[in-house]
Amino acid sequence: MKSMEASKLISFFEEDLCIFHLRSRKKMSVLTEIVHHLAVNNKISDEHFIIEMLKNRESLGSTGLGNGVAFPHGRSLAIKELSVLFARSASGLDFDALDGKPTKIFFLILAPSDKGSETYLAILSELIGLIQKPAKLKNLFEVTDYQALVKILEDKDL
Amino acid sequence: MRDEHRLLIALQDLDIMIKEVKDKATSKELQSLGFKLTGLSELQEAREKLAKKTPKGLLQRYEKLTEHFTVAILPVTGNLCLGCFVKLPTSFFSAVSRNELQTCENCGRLLYIP
Repeated sequence: MKSMEASKLISFFEEDLCIFHLRSRKKMSVLTEIVHHLAVNNKISDEHFIIEMLKNRESLGSTGLGNGVAFPHGRSLAIKELSVLFARSASGLDFDALDGKPTKIFFLILAPSDKGSETYLAILSELIGLIQKPAKLKNLFEVTDYQALVKILEDKDL
Repeated sequence: MRDEHRLLIALQDLDIMIKEVKDKATSKELQSLGFKLTGLSELQEAREKLAKKTPKGLLQRYEKLTEHFTVAILPVTGNLCLGCFVKLPTSFFSAVSRNELQTCENCGRLLYIP
């Protein structure tokens, strides 16, 4: 898979699609909270379809990859355009992560059923690559505003 | 939108996910990223449950279409079928009820007005 430039990756993020203080404390409620946030921002046509799709995706295998990060993702007819949402839980929560540790940050990546499949896999791949860098990850755990998030994502020295 | 149409859309989302997992290149890529794709049987069970709830005739139409298309049911946006991008005739909109599924005369996909 081709790698993506940082600027291209950041172009998929939107300030309105960031939650820096998640309220939820459980796996299913965090999915509901982030999907509701997308609905409020008019990115999806039906919350129910997306929640069901994400639940099904979790039954395939947890998207909590460990090290405090999860990447819920999938495709649905109810998604209007490719959307990336960032969410952070300061205390972390049980997301059935592969390493059993609490999950603190979430990158939700959704694509419409009929297009964008290649792009969403490329975004997923790029983000997973980024969080392999311990300094970047540490900063992401503490980020509380959009400008700081963008800076962390584009900083090559982190 | 009718409940049975909602079932069909949920079924299609699930079918697309199952197709991705069964696709060797995609599943290999996801696994190389660290995802464990161990729950295919759970997805298939969920699919069976949804299929049982879907009216037989509608399910058969949908399954026939999925032999040719990944996306068999689509919303109408503008005046286009987003499956084949052919402009829908004016008669399509005058005849259509918001609650009824229609068929694209060009490609045969199922269409609904969101």
